[in-house]
Amino acid sequence: MTKHRSLALWRGTLDMLPLSLAVMPWGILFGSLAIQRGFSAWETQAISALVFGGAVQIVSIELLAQGTPLTAVLFSAFVISSRHFLYGLHLRERMASHPLRWRIGLGFLLTDELFALSGDRRAYRRHYRLWYALGAGGSFYLAWNLWTAIGIVGGATLPDLSQLGVEFAIAAIFIALVVPNLKDLASTTSVLVAAIVAVYLATTDSQIGLIIAASAGMAAGYAVQTLQGYRG
Amino acid sequence: MIATILALAAITFSTRYLFLEKHLPLRLGPNLKRALSFSGPAVLSAITAPILLVHQGQLDLDPYSPYLWGGLAAVITARLSGNVYATMMAGGALFTVIELIT
Repeated sequence: MTKHRSLALWRGTLDMLPLSLAVMPWGILFGSLAIQRGFSAWETQAISALVFGGAVQIVSIELLAQGTPLTAVLFSAFVISSRHFLYGLHLRERMASHPLRWRIGLGFLLTDELFALSGDRRAYRRHYRLWYALGAGGSFYLAWNLWTAIGIVGGATLPDLSQLGVEFAIAAIFIALVVPNLKDLASTTSVLVAAIVAVYLATTDSQIGLIIAASAGMAAGYAVQTLQGYRG
Repeated sequence: MIATILALAAITFSTRYLFLEKHLPLRLGPNLKRALSFSGPAVLSAITAPILLVHQGQLDLDPYSPYLWGGLAAVITARLSGNVYATMMAGGALFTVIELIT
């Protein structure tokens, strides 16, 4: 059993590795940016350890450094995080029967990256799959905090990494996770509609664009499936 | 500051955990469940497309855009190989080459 567990942890860690590495520039950027904005080393590390989100951390420290009222900072954090509601909804049935410690632990670790690895229909169903998710989510957590620490130490001496096209690595990985699974018209339509709506909303600078675009994509996939005569 | 950090942490955690709470009185109907089966690809696509196509708040279809060609190479490689590392290498290589020559 123990061997089984460590194998699952290890598999999860390995499958997450490309994403753990791809967010290195982001984590370092966050750490150095927070120091440059006047946060202490402990505060900066605590944000990555407790808040554990990419965009939400960077946007929040920028807003706080500008002296934005706390309620506005929290509201923006809520809007950026709102896409996670979809993840919880999608995994609800599989997770509901698991003990509280698993739901809290994996809930805390449920980032975009962990959700990206949750596409398998067996995901989260059995014990092995829970340990696999713990390996994936836990290793990603450690990596994110390590990158943050490097950014803190580098601090102001580091160049501005946000200009280096670092987001491309994450985009390429997400493409690799999505494209091979597009096997029918419904899922392809869903992805295209989500992409088009997201691009449009991104040009209008709305933080809520992501969840609207994802919902539009889901509705489109559902509609195509229904038109094709799908019976639940 | 620590209170602010804890408040932010409470927000991100609650958006992730809320629907995993079994005492939440909510039953998903078959229609919603079917729509949610598209959530993974739809969210990832909604994150990815603006990274490739929107820069400085503007639609960027510049024929010399490394994002455009790197993204296309990634899509084609993913379609053909289904391999994460091959996709990263092909997309990343073309991205880097165009970034360097332009």
